[in-house]
Amino acid sequence: MTAYLVRRIGQAVVVVLGVMVLTFFMIHMVPGSAARATLGTRATAERIAMFNAAYGLDKPLSTQFLTFVEQAARGNFGTSYSMQQPVSTLIAQRLPRDGLLLGLSTLLALAIALPMGIYQAVRRGRIADHVFTVVSFVLYSMPDFFFALVLIAVFSVQFHLLPSEAPQAESVGGILADPQGLVLPVVTLTLVSLAGFSRYMRASALTTLAQDYVQVARSKGLPERLVLRRHVLRNSMLPVITILGLSAPSIVAGAVIAESVFNYPGMGLLFYQAATSKDYPIMLGSTLVVGVATVLGSLFADIAYSLLDPRIRYVDA
Amino acid sequence: MPPLLEVSNLTTHIRTRRGVVRAVDGVSFTLEEGETLGLVGESGCGKSMTGLSVMGLLPRGGSIVGDSSVRLGGRELVGLPESDLRRVRGNEIAMVFQDPMSALDPTKTIGHQVAESVLLHRGGTRAEAADRAAEVLGLVGLPHPRERLGDYPHQLSGGLRQRVLIAMALVNEPKVLIADEPTTALDVTIQAQILDLLADLRARLRMAMILITHDMGVTAGHTDRVNVMYAGRIAESAGTGPLFRAMRHPYTQSLLASVPRLDRGPTGQLPTIPGLPPDLTDPPSGCRFAARCQYATDRCRTAEPELTGPATHRYACWHPTDGPRPAEPVDTPMDVEVVLPAQAAAVASAAVAERPVLEARDLVREFPVRGSWLPGRERRVVHALSGVSLTIGHGETLGIVGESGCGKTTLGRLLVGLDRPDSGTVTLDGTDLGRLRGRELRQRRRDLQMMFQDPFSSLDPRMRVGSILREPLQIQGLGTTSEQRERVAELLAEVGLPAHAADLYPHEFSGGQRQRVGLARALALTPKLIVADEPVSALDVSVRAQVLNLMRGLQVSHGLSYVVISHDLAVVRYLADRIGVMYLGRMVEVGSADDIHLRAAHPYTAGLLKAVPVPDPDVERAKHGAGVRGELPSPLAPPSGCRFRTRCPLAQDLCALEEPTPRLFATGHTAACHFPLQTPLPDASPALTGDPA
Repeated sequence: MTAYLVRRIGQAVVVVLGVMVLTFFMIHMVPGSAARATLGTRATAERIAMFNAAYGLDKPLSTQFLTFVEQAARGNFGTSYSMQQPVSTLIAQRLPRDGLLLGLSTLLALAIALPMGIYQAVRRGRIADHVFTVVSFVLYSMPDFFFALVLIAVFSVQFHLLPSEAPQAESVGGILADPQGLVLPVVTLTLVSLAGFSRYMRASALTTLAQDYVQVARSKGLPERLVLRRHVLRNSMLPVITILGLSAPSIVAGAVIAESVFNYPGMGLLFYQAATSKDYPIMLGSTLVVGVATVLGSLFADIAYSLLDPRIRYVDA
Repeated sequence: MPPLLEVSNLTTHIRTRRGVVRAVDGVSFTLEEGETLGLVGESGCGKSMTGLSVMGLLPRGGSIVGDSSVRLGGRELVGLPESDLRRVRGNEIAMVFQDPMSALDPTKTIGHQVAESVLLHRGGTRAEAADRAAEVLGLVGLPHPRERLGDYPHQLSGGLRQRVLIAMALVNEPKVLIADEPTTALDVTIQAQILDLLADLRARLRMAMILITHDMGVTAGHTDRVNVMYAGRIAESAGTGPLFRAMRHPYTQSLLASVPRLDRGPTGQLPTIPGLPPDLTDPPSGCRFAARCQYATDRCRTAEPELTGPATHRYACWHPTDGPRPAEPVDTPMDVEVVLPAQAAAVASAAVAERPVLEARDLVREFPVRGSWLPGRERRVVHALSGVSLTIGHGETLGIVGESGCGKTTLGRLLVGLDRPDSGTVTLDGTDLGRLRGRELRQRRRDLQMMFQDPFSSLDPRMRVGSILREPLQIQGLGTTSEQRERVAELLAEVGLPAHAADLYPHEFSGGQRQRVGLARALALTPKLIVADEPVSALDVSVRAQVLNLMRGLQVSHGLSYVVISHDLAVVRYLADRIGVMYLGRMVEVGSADDIHLRAAHPYTAGLLKAVPVPDPDVERAKHGAGVRGELPSPLAPPSGCRFRTRCPLAQDLCALEEPTPRLFATGHTAACHFPLQTPLPDASPALTGDPA
């Protein structure tokens, strides 16, 4: 296990470095300058030069990159041009909000999708299966802002049951103190990811149900409920774990649309604003966070795999 | 007192998109305490479905219909509510399934899986259930059962997994055990061990057993009575002895005649059963076997025969036969010249002496274990082949036999150049294949073709058969498009497929027909040598005979050489002039088919032969003990000295110290053993005679 972890961490470092190189140089290939974008079109050449000097933008790209890597290694991602705050502070504010929102909705989606997928597989070809399939595809094909608006229209505007705005507190504790405000955004994002998970679960459960060991479990006299819970569920979860690992980066990348509809500034909006204003430090900082999340996500998936399936335990045996 | 199990008029229908399949159609039988009943037949005959129906475990769309009745100790099971049936399943009637590799949940420990049944039916604490699991695992011969409760299925070999499955079925001491092809997925050596175990347990626990199998040899040795099934019905039902000695149904007769026999000398053409079983969505009106029966008359085609005859021997036939078919078939359905291997062998050994087609010397192939390159880890390799040499003459068939994991498939891949040896050479007509690269190698590949085991996965499902057969010609740039089409038609005719087969996709063919396509593809480039890796093991008995006959016929007409790799010694005996026996990456014995079968010198060869079930109850009953004990050691760390010593009844200290060198027993017959069963020729090392072992 140790050797395995060492290897994975080595891989992670390489991937994150690669992400940094690519993002850094690609951002600088985009036409237009940060100074123009921050100071406005009427800024004088003098002010632009001052801006560039202040942020080190007058140096050659390679030097800038080395400086960035060196600073990033110390946890300093620079200061946002437009917001005049350290990028690390901004991310520290925004990241937990998205972690909470998207983490909750992913968990909820899984909690619904796993049983739903198995149920569909068991009832394959029957009406219930078809109904859920249609529902999945409808959900899958609808854009999230549409859900958000429909939910707001029904639950906030029409019936005044739930607030249309997400909690505005700064801290996670503060947000959790107002759970009502979280309901609509969480439900919106759950519906978005539900379809994908349940389709995978259905396909995977179908494969599992066809395995001999399921028939063996039945031949022992196990009730179907236990057959499904003990022998089908765990064996069917593996493909879903892969998808889950792959969705880790999207949890930290935020959900721009949901964030803006529910007025819940998170990573998504932060990155969007940075991209439009050429705020390099924020863009680099968030990309790095997403890169790390990607690597961690796949590591998490592999570890979860090995816990679920004894055949892939990474031991030195 | 009612019989232990009484099945009467059992009829199972399965609704599918194509219509209702009458999988089991009016099957009746009884089973007494302590008795083993064989359900025998080819795939799709309804034997497994009968077992599943008794268990009440039907597939999707399946239902037991009509006045079907299954009584266990007088109690009717058909129509019982699911909750009551569950109390019977795994408790009073238990089942062992075919494939031990897939029948255990990979994510649960074996202790958990065995204890699960105990907790379910007997209650008690987890600790008590674990105790019981350990006890039964010990009973089925799992070494150190208590320590292994926490093992996962993938940590066990196939044979041990089958033992675990048997333990799972027996843990509640059921009255009836249904074993559905319990040894089909296992090596013959392990098969013999498992069958002995089942017989022993049945006697000790006073169980009754239904043994479902397609193997006439297994049937002969391990059943008391037999029901031969055909197309969802019982064709014949008799005691095992009378059935084999004096069968009345022509199907039983043909089935038995079409099995290649290990205990008989070389025969001519194998009798085949032409055609295929009927479609059970629309069974024919008369006798279901009529279309394939050589004795069929108009009456057979219109009126369906009922089971008749004395209570001890019943058969459903209008024109019952009397006993087995005479050894030499009078008429053979295929117009291929009959060539006895003896003749071929004579020709072949002359050819070998002259100039071999293919020669392999000291082939070594090792596969590194994944991840073992990492620092701090021992470098470990799978020793797949450790110095194997052989020669194949023009027109000769060399059979390679051995248990799974002995390296025979690796050897086949090296011979046709699909893989390269780590050391050693493969020489084709004097050219070292290892030195060829690129275009030259590609051109040489023409001469070496391969025929695969699985006719379902070895043909691209999205290519028409015509394209599959043309592809090798296109790759080699042989002929114009129209010439290639002509060649395809010619190939199809040669393997006995209709010309329009070229326009069809592989899934439109039966398994046997697909294997014919596989053979045609191998023939397309008029190769000198075809390596056939388990060419018929995926096929049913009757179809197997057709393909074997075809392979032999084509060999004669094309002057082909074959390397036939198989775990089935009877198949190899039927096809091969010479046989090589492999064990754990080594060739332990090579000789003519007769040398191997009649005068085996290596104890492993003798054990392997003994383990093969022969379709003759008298021969089978006379056997005592399994042929080879234990299981194949890990190829990661083969035993020192003679690799077979850990399982050899004759092993002595010398065997662990010194690796035996091949010794000569007769011309062309060598074996590597310190204590051979035959006397070697004095002072004649094979190196001197120039014939490598």
